[in-house]
Amino acid sequence: MTIQRVKPGDFTKTPVDKTEDPDFGTEMIPKERYTSRDFMQKEWDRLWTKVWNWGCASQDIEEPGDYIVTSLGKEEILLTRQPDGTAKGFYNVCQHRGNRLMMGQGNATTFKCNYHHWEYKLTGEFENIPDIETFPQGAPPCGGLTEVRVEEWNGFVFFCLDPDGESFDDFIHPLKEHLGPYHFDRMVKVTDWTVEWECNWKTSVDAFNESYHVQGIHPELLYFIEDKHLQIDTYEKHNRYLIPFATISHRVNETTEIPHLIKHAMKEAGMDPADFDGRISEIRPALQKWKREHGAEQGLDYSDLNDEQLTDDYHYMIFPNITMNTHADDLMLFRQRPHETDPDKMYFDVQMFKLLKKDEEKPRRKPKNERFKHGERSMGLVIDQDAANLPGVQRGMHSEAYEGLWLGDQELRIRHFHKVLMDYVGED
Amino acid sequence: MELGLKGMKAAVTGGSRGIGKAIAMHLAQEGCDVSICARGEEGIAATRAEIEAEGVRSFGTALQGRDGDAVRGWMRETCDVFGGLDLLVCSLSGGGGTNEEGYWRRSFEIDVMSATRAVDEAYPHLKKSGKGSILVISSMAAAETFVSPMAYNAMKASLVTWSKQLAEQYAPKGIRVNCLEPGPTMFPGSNWEMIKVARSRTYAGVLRQQPTRRMGEVDEIAKSAVFLASPAASWVTGATLRVDGGYTKGVQF
Repeated sequence: MTIQRVKPGDFTKTPVDKTEDPDFGTEMIPKERYTSRDFMQKEWDRLWTKVWNWGCASQDIEEPGDYIVTSLGKEEILLTRQPDGTAKGFYNVCQHRGNRLMMGQGNATTFKCNYHHWEYKLTGEFENIPDIETFPQGAPPCGGLTEVRVEEWNGFVFFCLDPDGESFDDFIHPLKEHLGPYHFDRMVKVTDWTVEWECNWKTSVDAFNESYHVQGIHPELLYFIEDKHLQIDTYEKHNRYLIPFATISHRVNETTEIPHLIKHAMKEAGMDPADFDGRISEIRPALQKWKREHGAEQGLDYSDLNDEQLTDDYHYMIFPNITMNTHADDLMLFRQRPHETDPDKMYFDVQMFKLLKKDEEKPRRKPKNERFKHGERSMGLVIDQDAANLPGVQRGMHSEAYEGLWLGDQELRIRHFHKVLMDYVGED
Repeated sequence: MELGLKGMKAAVTGGSRGIGKAIAMHLAQEGCDVSICARGEEGIAATRAEIEAEGVRSFGTALQGRDGDAVRGWMRETCDVFGGLDLLVCSLSGGGGTNEEGYWRRSFEIDVMSATRAVDEAYPHLKKSGKGSILVISSMAAAETFVSPMAYNAMKASLVTWSKQLAEQYAPKGIRVNCLEPGPTMFPGSNWEMIKVARSRTYAGVLRQQPTRRMGEVDEIAKSAVFLASPAASWVTGATLRVDGGYTKGVQF
């Protein structure tokens, strides 16, 4: 079954040209990158403290005084909205005795430490130090909280712990052009989960950087996506693949009945599968046409997206740890954070966003960040399948009988990721 | 046992895949000219080639099952091209679905109306045959609660009642009418093949109720169907034969 793709000359704002596949060779990726504490420390020193990190959604800190605390390894970062509308970020630590300053998220007029009530303005400067006259040396000369660089783009807040590092624009290039047409700032967050997983953060990143495992652990998806014949594109730091959705894999036979996930996609768009008399392979282009024709009247603005973006998954990785399943009507974003101390553990953040219809009011309550451990609750069949698999992968990394990752062409994004990783880390 | 099918002219609605195709092929192997209609051009072309490889004539039209004019047109053309008709098997189905209104329309227009329209056009030719026979393919899902309430099961049940009444009316005209209720059947490209992967729990639930722990194969359905439709079953009319490997649990006295 041939999958119809956007052709040169068709409307698109997101670049669709295939990048030339880089030649990274066929060498094994050493497993120690996933298990070694030494490598973990190098990552901290040379990657996490140098790179731009996804911090939160802009809507998490919508109003002046809104704040959210996010963690990265051993550090906690306080992100907050200023009265002038800009976002700022600080290390979340009181300059007095080192106490954690704020927790979770909320709104504040000042940031006050619980311990001795040292108080900071939203701008980070000292607001009040109780009994300041009892400090003969005066207030700390730093003047307040230690600021980190912050940039906001397309509904997301990024931070960088390196005061002198590269600019955000250089870092994110060329994804502004790629992802701008999705207007994530028109979407509203509907799910916010943090799960502790028993694997290295890269074990998780890898799992989402190839679709070769679909025929392994996600067989259901063979009746919803084409899993092998994908376009893989690698850029300077980031990469993507374009996965056709609302179709069936070449690995399975075409049926007469429409598979339930495809039916669901049709119904979501207001198209009745009972009235569709074509073949399964004809649904994807028909659904694209339908959404193009009916989107506006449903209050959904798809005008900046090309036809296949209306059905497909443009699957981006923002280096080093953001996986984005971008769709016309929603975004499923995964953030893979390193553990404080243990290379065999990580935090997996799931944030789902949904496109609001024109004049649709935002839900009054924002979803709360729910934290749990693997297996305590379901995250949906597909993520559960990944989650169930990953601890076994991490365990195997420690085996005497396993040396490293033996990668095929379908796993090119993993090689690309490791290339960029080693550009930062420098050595194993 | 001789089925007496050699030289007969047969038509099978939905004869390009699955049970319908297996019936079409067995009829061809028994020496019938076979005409089919289905949605896909390629499936029709491929099946016609297989039919003709058996040394008999074929005919076929790609059509939408709910297009009444198309179904009638195919039936009339078949009779023209073959110069008559002895056997009609109504096997075309729009497949399962849910309990939503669209699926009631779909099952009615495709499963029920394609059969009634084909019979309507075939009737004068079957009467002329002297050995005319109609076989309506219903489903075991008509006979017992199955999966969930939905249009498919109820529409398949309506075919059972309709074929029984036809049998009584057509018997004096020399046309036998029978009905077949296949149980869950597996073949490459079958809906069960998809359900096995895409909804593995539903599949496992159905398989657990099958005493042999396997689904039927199309040949196992088709051989019963061909017998019922053939002159070898000359004293069988108004019968409903369930071919389900023992899936259904009710007892028919």
